[in-house]
Amino acid sequence: MARPLSLKAPQGIWVILVSFLIASLLLVMPLPSWLEYYRPEWMALAVIYWSMALPHKFGLIGAWILGFFVDVLEGSLLGLNGLVLALVAYLALSLYQRLRMFTMLQQASTVFMLVGLHQLVSFWVLTVSNQNTSPNLMFLVSAVTSAVIWPLVFYGLRYLRRSFRVG
Amino acid sequence: MTIHKSLFIQNSAQGYRLLALVLVSLMLMFADNRFDYLSQVRFYASYSVTPIHYLSELPESVSQQVADIFKSRDELVDENRLLQEELLMQQYQLQKIDHLTAENQRLNELLNASAIVDDIVVRAQLVSESPDPFRKQVLINKGSSHGVYDGQSVLDADGLFGQIIAIEPYYSWVQLITDSQHSTPVQINRNGIRAVVSGTQSSLHEMVLNNMTVNADLEVGDMLVTSGLGQRFSAGYKVGVITNIVRDPGQPFARVTVAPTAQLDRSRNLLLVF
Repeated sequence: MARPLSLKAPQGIWVILVSFLIASLLLVMPLPSWLEYYRPEWMALAVIYWSMALPHKFGLIGAWILGFFVDVLEGSLLGLNGLVLALVAYLALSLYQRLRMFTMLQQASTVFMLVGLHQLVSFWVLTVSNQNTSPNLMFLVSAVTSAVIWPLVFYGLRYLRRSFRVG
Repeated sequence: MTIHKSLFIQNSAQGYRLLALVLVSLMLMFADNRFDYLSQVRFYASYSVTPIHYLSELPESVSQQVADIFKSRDELVDENRLLQEELLMQQYQLQKIDHLTAENQRLNELLNASAIVDDIVVRAQLVSESPDPFRKQVLINKGSSHGVYDGQSVLDADGLFGQIIAIEPYYSWVQLITDSQHSTPVQINRNGIRAVVSGTQSSLHEMVLNNMTVNADLEVGDMLVTSGLGQRFSAGYKVGVITNIVRDPGQPFARVTVAPTAQLDRSRNLLLVF
């Protein structure tokens, strides 16, 4: 019954694309400046979900291309988000079996770690390249909000995946 | 023999792939940070994000239009009266300026200096701020299709706002004058001392005046205007006001902080100078 390994696009790929489109809208949606610190890393959350749900179809290259798109969208250093999203996808792909077994609390804390690493690596790169960075640890707050909002993202995307039979 | 879909993802292959992607990203970031090759790539890639900028701007513009529709007549009359008064005041001040400009031109002619050319100004609207709260950049709704160019000055009603650093077809990114990577050549309006004012990492409303000696003739409240040196900004735009001077005899330079005059966190209507 084993199907040959193929690089064919998964069925219902448009659902995945729409989820990334929504994530990118949420990423640039104007917020009051005090709320900016709390903006979850929507793109990283979507990448974690799809790596965990379709590990054979969604991979590092996809995550990197997505990151390039985010760089163009945000006007940030080209390659920065590619690097961090590929890293997040790599870790999520190597953890996906455990992630599926985890309770929601355990999942959320893993998400906290992954997004925290995402933030930390961007912070290092920005510091090395002399860009504006946070003078304190406020840049890690979005890891907390990402973990808090993770159950919503998880159930929302799972609902979409099941109702459109993505896979 | 067909290759069977393995139950587990092969981690070593993934590891090599990650390594390759990390290397590609590092090279790309290095090139983007140090050289100018990638601005074309960014420009063409930004066609793909134009719809997202448009969509993110949509709620704001729609709510603005809806608010316009439901404005009551009284409000409009009030607003109209206020604007009329403001216009009158502005016209009164303009009369004085006309006189001063003419006088200035005569004096310049006496000195054989070149004539002052009036700038052409185009209005632009702020679309969004950088999603990264630590980067002082904003997006405006004018791009290469409106003739925006790299390094163009952006003003608001109260002073210099920033300069264009990345251009997309219909939008462009403005780096604010208080960004830590931005420096502006200025002149003190009172006595003509030239200096360079730079942004800081910490605050949106703070800049520092570089390399001013302890005995330099500076006072709190001095107005800084662009000096026109460096050939980026034309001379005479308001930049900021000195808010604090620390003269420590043990230090070679005074620590001078400057507050920008432009409303960096409030202005939505900006001016592009051509």
